[in-house]
Amino acid sequence: MDAIRIPPPAELDSLDDEQFRQVVRAFLHANYPEHLRNPPKRLHWVENKEWYFRLAETGWLCPGWPKEHGGLGLSPAKQIILTEEYERHGVARTNDHGVVMLGPLVINYGTEEQKRRFLPKILTGEHIWCQGYSEPGAGSDLAALRTEAVLDGDHYVVNGQKTWTTLAMDANWIFLLVRTDRNAKKQEGISFLLVDMKTPGITVRPIINLEMHDEFCETFFDNVRVPKENLVGQLNKGWDMAKALLGFERIFLGSPRQSGYALSRLKILAERMGVWEDAEFQDRYARLRLEFEDLKALYGTFVDRLKRGQSLGPDVSMLKIIQTELFQKITDCMLEIAGENAGLMEPMEGNRDLNIGGLYIQARPATIYGGSNEIQRNILSKNVLELPG
Amino acid sequence: MSAAEADDRAESIRMIRDSAAAVAPPGGDLKRVRDLRWQDPGYDAGLFRQMGEMGWIGLRLPEEMGGAGLGVGEMCALAEELGRGLVPEPLIPAALSAQVLAAAGGKGPLPVLLAGEVLVLTAWQERADTLEVPGTSEASRHFLPMAAGADFFLLPVREGGRLALYELPAARCVPTIERTQDGGTLGTLAPNMAEATKLADDVGEALPAALDEAALVTAAYLLGGMERAFGMTLDYLRQRQQFGKIIGTFQALQHRAADLKMQVALTRASIESAAAALDAGATGDARRAAVSRAKARAAEASLRVTRECIQLHGGIGYTDEYDVGLYLRKAMVMANQYGSATLHRRRFMTVSPEVEA
Ligand SMILES: Cc1cc2nc3c(=O)[nH]c(=O)nc-3n(C[C@H](O)[C@H](O)[C@H](O)COP(=O)(O)OP(=O)(O)OC[C@H]3O[C@@H](n4cnc5c(N)ncnc54)[C@H](O)[C@@H]3O)c2cc1C
Repeated sequence: MDAIRIPPPAELDSLDDEQFRQVVRAFLHANYPEHLRNPPKRLHWVENKEWYFRLAETGWLCPGWPKEHGGLGLSPAKQIILTEEYERHGVARTNDHGVVMLGPLVINYGTEEQKRRFLPKILTGEHIWCQGYSEPGAGSDLAALRTEAVLDGDHYVVNGQKTWTTLAMDANWIFLLVRTDRNAKKQEGISFLLVDMKTPGITVRPIINLEMHDEFCETFFDNVRVPKENLVGQLNKGWDMAKALLGFERIFLGSPRQSGYALSRLKILAERMGVWEDAEFQDRYARLRLEFEDLKALYGTFVDRLKRGQSLGPDVSMLKIIQTELFQKITDCMLEIAGENAGLMEPMEGNRDLNIGGLYIQARPATIYGGSNEIQRNILSKNVLELPG
Repeated sequence: MSAAEADDRAESIRMIRDSAAAVAPPGGDLKRVRDLRWQDPGYDAGLFRQMGEMGWIGLRLPEEMGGAGLGVGEMCALAEELGRGLVPEPLIPAALSAQVLAAAGGKGPLPVLLAGEVLVLTAWQERADTLEVPGTSEASRHFLPMAAGADFFLLPVREGGRLALYELPAARCVPTIERTQDGGTLGTLAPNMAEATKLADDVGEALPAALDEAALVTAAYLLGGMERAFGMTLDYLRQRQQFGKIIGTFQALQHRAADLKMQVALTRASIESAAAALDAGATGDARRAAVSRAKARAAEASLRVTRECIQLHGGIGYTDEYDVGLYLRKAMVMANQYGSATLHRRRFMTVSPEVEA
């Protein structure tokens, strides 16, 4: 490990894939805080900022951003290798909405002034972003959103409510989809607005999720005045911009690593419960394992498409469905073989990361967010299979 | 059973359901249940006493033992209602102990247990997912439900060919406590036999029968819970709108709901027929087959129904504030109590290998 030299950030994109993989491993080995490996819950800013700042100092924070904006300028294929290695190492997610979503959006659609204003502050960790899309009445049907921004002189005045805003309590900026034209077709009256969370009129209420963790929030806007220049892209074109960003996201939700991790836990648990050798269990495990291997192969074909510079079509929805449901099936199996241990709050004695109930609960929301699996199936049947209706 | 007897039975079951409403009002909110979560001891001792006064702890004991002399059908109906309301008071393990004490000749703390004044737990389990009672005298006993509130433990101990019963005051032998997903506790006891008093020479026949009954009653509790969670989900499907439509009009979701309905119906049929078989006097393999069938179904269906209920709700299902998640957590804790689905499927096949066409 130590023998591998870690080249300066600007040179990373010119390594071949295998060299790059080795470098990522060496980088994590040298830099990743050991105590943050495989955290049982999504970490808050106070817990993950040490890692965020480490990434910022080393220049590794924004793998997908172009170099001129302070990113590593990695190809999609290399970004996938990086993600795979992060997952393998058990790297925690940071408060990464600025890095992953807002940054690329500003780079693609923002003015030069907006790029100068916002990108450097993501790179330094001064601005921590959260995503304000969903509303109580607009989840799967996001385009039905009603939070409204009305122009008043040099400001938009924002009124309404967002919900399920992940880590809004940690964020100091929020990017919003807001309605700016009530009379247009619903997708055509939506704009993209950047809001400083310190602006008067914003209230954040944490919601405890099923993991008993305060991870997402309700976010209320009461006559919040936002400078006009915080609108990104063209007025009423926010929907198309937000959608363009989603395509690349879905392949990450389809990464098989989460299931790979769960499978390794299942094996440990089966051994502990004395059922590993059991023929019936072996058959069940084999089924899950083969689904994992086949998912990896399918995932590989999508990665190859990216490597060849092709863009991904709506069929990428398959990856998200298969991966999230496989993850659930593995955790279901863990629960079923764990006997009474299934009901415990804490990890099983002697295995800090054998948290059966915790993993079972954690596997639930993946089929809800990022476009629920029902919505993904609708996409497959309509846009891929082109079935009528 | 004659028609008149059948009517009496149905009436008795209806009455017990009505009386359950005193503790778990149908459609009532779950504030009381929420407030008790992860508190010490995780249930309301006052309400437990009330259950004793209503005759529930000794529901299955003959009247001469201080019980109500009612059947398994009544006990299952009661548990189902309590499951609907997620009632955390440890009625099932307490009723198990009452049966064990009755088999021991009504000795020890039976009267105070029946009155709900103390909690007596039977410390029979030496490993996870089992119905076997080896009775190893010094072995740790695991997974004692609501052990934080226990006053006495009953210890089955193998002595030669017999399974003797000892009583151990909790004050002399304190269990270690772990918290559970539903807000309760599970205890582990390292028995200190020096503090134990012998109550009976042999409960070897009674204990397996009582454990089977506890398994069936647990299935009924799970049935009540999954049915309520499913009912809440149907309400939501009828009211939530997306894309300008009630989401219950989407055929993908209608089919999911129809599938869950069938799981609930199979579970109910399985439990009710098992209860009827036990009340008709089924013993031995016939009893084991009936109980295992019902518990296997209830364990699997309760997990499936509750997790699909979360999915059908979307984001709101993933919040602690919304009640449907409480049913998921309860199923996580209870599905494997008194034997997992796998254990019961296996046992079913060993006691009932042939299909009766
Ligand atoms: C852990 C978590 C984190 C999140 N973080 C964020 C965040 O940071 N920012 C943000 O803006 N949002 C966030 N969300 C919100 C997420 O995007 C929504 O929950 C999701 O879009 C689903 O919307 P909903 O919850 O309103 O469910 P609904 O849309 O009401 O769906 C309810 C049920 O109906 C089904 N359904 C809906 N429409 C159809 C249809 N046409 N056909 C068939 N079935 C259908 C759904 O699949 C679901 O089963 C998060 C959600 C979760 C669970």
